[in-house]
Amino acid sequence: MIDKDERDQSLESPLCDICKHHAVEIDTEIDELLETIWVLREKGKVTENHYRESGAGNVILDNLDRLKKMNLIYLKEGHVTFTDGGEKHARDLIRRHRLTERMLTDLFDIPRGRIEAPSCQFEHILSEEVTDSICSFLGHPSTCPHGRPIPPGECCKKLTKTITPLVIPLVDLMPGEKGRIVFIATKDRRRLRRLSSLGINPEGIVTVNQKLPTVVIHVDETEIAMDHALVSEIYVKRITDNG
Amino acid sequence: MSFIKQKKKSEEQIKNIILIGNPNVGKSVIFGILTGQYVVVSNYPGTTVEISRGNAGFHGNKYQVIDTPGIANLLPMSTDEVVTRDILFEEKDSVIIQVADSKNLARTLLITLQLAEMKIPFILVMNMMDEARERRINIDFKKLSKMLGTQVFPTVAISRTGTDKILPAIEKADVSTYEFKYDPFIEDAVKKIEGYLPDFPISKRSVAIMLLSEDMSLNKWLDEKLTPQGREEIQGIIRDTRKRYPDPLEIVINKERLQNTDRLIKEVAVIEKAPRKGFMYNAGRICMHPVWGVPILIAVLTLMYFFVGKFAAGTVVDFFMGTVFGNAVEGTGIINPFIARVLESIIPIKFVQDLLVGEYGLISVGITYAIAIVLPIVAAFFFFFGILEDSGYLPRLAIIANRVCKWAGLNGKAVLPLILGLGCGAMATISARILDSPKERMLVILLLALGVPCSAQLGLIMGMLAGLKSYAFFIWLFIVLGSMILVGFIANKLIPGETSDFILEIPPLRFPSLKNIAVKTLARIEWYLREAVPIFLLATLFLFFIDKVGILQIIRDMAAPVMAKILSLPPEVTDSFMMGFLRRDYGAAGLLEMARKGMLSNNQILVSMVTITLFLPCVAQMFVIIKEKGLKTAVAVAAFVFTFAFIVGGLLNFALNALGVVL
Repeated sequence: MIDKDERDQSLESPLCDICKHHAVEIDTEIDELLETIWVLREKGKVTENHYRESGAGNVILDNLDRLKKMNLIYLKEGHVTFTDGGEKHARDLIRRHRLTERMLTDLFDIPRGRIEAPSCQFEHILSEEVTDSICSFLGHPSTCPHGRPIPPGECCKKLTKTITPLVIPLVDLMPGEKGRIVFIATKDRRRLRRLSSLGINPEGIVTVNQKLPTVVIHVDETEIAMDHALVSEIYVKRITDNG
Repeated sequence: MSFIKQKKKSEEQIKNIILIGNPNVGKSVIFGILTGQYVVVSNYPGTTVEISRGNAGFHGNKYQVIDTPGIANLLPMSTDEVVTRDILFEEKDSVIIQVADSKNLARTLLITLQLAEMKIPFILVMNMMDEARERRINIDFKKLSKMLGTQVFPTVAISRTGTDKILPAIEKADVSTYEFKYDPFIEDAVKKIEGYLPDFPISKRSVAIMLLSEDMSLNKWLDEKLTPQGREEIQGIIRDTRKRYPDPLEIVINKERLQNTDRLIKEVAVIEKAPRKGFMYNAGRICMHPVWGVPILIAVLTLMYFFVGKFAAGTVVDFFMGTVFGNAVEGTGIINPFIARVLESIIPIKFVQDLLVGEYGLISVGITYAIAIVLPIVAAFFFFFGILEDSGYLPRLAIIANRVCKWAGLNGKAVLPLILGLGCGAMATISARILDSPKERMLVILLLALGVPCSAQLGLIMGMLAGLKSYAFFIWLFIVLGSMILVGFIANKLIPGETSDFILEIPPLRFPSLKNIAVKTLARIEWYLREAVPIFLLATLFLFFIDKVGILQIIRDMAAPVMAKILSLPPEVTDSFMMGFLRRDYGAAGLLEMARKGMLSNNQILVSMVTITLFLPCVAQMFVIIKEKGLKTAVAVAAFVFTFAFIVGGLLNFALNALGVVL
């Protein structure tokens, strides 16, 4: 068998030009300040006095002028309030940060203790489109793993009534529903081969016929019964009849 | 092509025709049509577990036709898939007939592409055209044939539509001209590996691709044909290629094949959106419905109980036993008293008379049991079973039973060999090969030996219990199923290994063809007569002699304490148990005869039925177990089953007495 290091090396690629370019542009300090204001606001701490009491606010007090100058916040009777632009910027940051946390815990099973650092990096670099895709992929989650709310994005608003993630385990489809296979998340090659030989491959369209006592799905013209464990490794995009 | 013909004629060699294809596409039907030889055909995947060979001829050309177990891919995963793939390696000068389910083009073409790669001459038979048409799948066969560069024939084999064109096409069969290239890195590796390979009956390119896919089952071939250095070089190439892809090579290769089949399908097939709401479709859904599936299963069992138990084992056996064969001593019936009288007048030797019509007479017991008792039951059972098989109900039963099987370390797929065991335990033991892990095969073999009665035995049990209180049958069923689940549960913990995933293709529910069922039932009856009757006669002869020399009495005396104390059964029951080892149905037939004579009380009937069901498998089945699993395992299984049967029988007897149940 191949050892892991070998493969990882082969996949390594140098930063592309765009990455280098962006790395310079990002002003992470401002981002952190906005985030702190947002988090304090969630705790009901919105005045300069509050900031002074909680140690975390001091850094904002030192930078208030800078933020005001950038037209991100304004001060009114000791209350720190976001401008429209500042509000949006902060909300997007928080959204990206907390979605990243969700993704790292839910999708990749990274222990909660280790998600903070990567989340802090991701929040500065994700584009809106990518953020919305991650959000949809995760099923428009409403809270981060620590239980704090994730501000909804455009993608969530479109689906305010039915919160349906884009990519879900096949086993989550209801009987009668159809899905297009996106990927099969198994490390067991025999499984993959077996599924493949029965016509269960990425891009294939499957219909769930029943879920009890055993899951039965329909692929092409074949009906296949299989264990729950297997079906939950197949990820699909739900297909509705109107497209 | 003319070259091939000349070569063939000069060498007078018999060409092989190898039938290959996905499971349940009709290979065996086509085998039957080509050779005129009958092999069991059913509507569920995995009916054929062994290779059948037969002969066919056309225009003076002689062929050997080989039927193989179904495969999903020429990269084998289970034992039966290795069997099929190895045939391609071993049989030189062969033509392949790929038999395909026309409704499932993608899976068909995945195999076709691999055959094309192997550069073996083949033709493609697109079977089940009727079902494809029903589903509005329109395939342009001419175009498909042109693109593949091989002959393609649409057929409906079960009604022989289009099958007459197959044999004439064999001579013109040629290697496919279809070629496609993989990713450059893979192509590169293929070329390098080819350089190290010796000649194979299939193309070096295809072997190289198999090696890149890390097909472990090839190792034995490589050991034979390659030097250690050559193997080392090849391993190096594979290792280097692997580094180029994030996924295992097998998956990369498979992906490219799938993309190619997709491309082909788009060219040749138009699939109109078809309403798929036929009666059979819905009926098929109901059979595996979480709620309706169970009452349907109960209905099927009840129907079988009435047909095989009440009607065949009751009415028909009574007629044959009472009215037709009868008993010479009691002077009932026709045949036995008649033969006895004739014998008395022509051969006045007591020994010969006893041998033929005595207490253990070849005719009065051997033939009578075989024809009057067992034959009607077996025939009824095979008929009923044939309907179940051909309708496609059995895989649906597997879905219902999957959960229960899980308790015993098995999955729903195990239902197929277990149910098959109701036909014949020995054959079912072989068919355990369709299961994926050695552990599951062992479990099924054990359970078959333990608790699955074979057809005649089941019929007899149903027939005898039908005379008791109505719940007697359910006590029997409960104890036997319970024992199997319990033993499975414990064995699951003891036998190392893993339970494989449950994935089972569910064939469409079909109206069984009466003709196929008739042919199948007759073939099985013929098999029964050929296999069972001689053993019945031998067993009777054996009983006759050990009775004459007094050994029988000694054995009875030895067994009597067990029989009497533990099971509360009369000593004569020992005979039936001994005969049950030779053939289970013989043993049960003996018990039926005793019950008919009023030698057993109702409680005794139930106890003896439970015990003989769990008792040792017959000799034939023992031999198969030895063949599949070795002598040591077989002896262990036998010892366990033997002890277990008496313990359960004893417990039941004790419980009946303690609770004061009178059936």
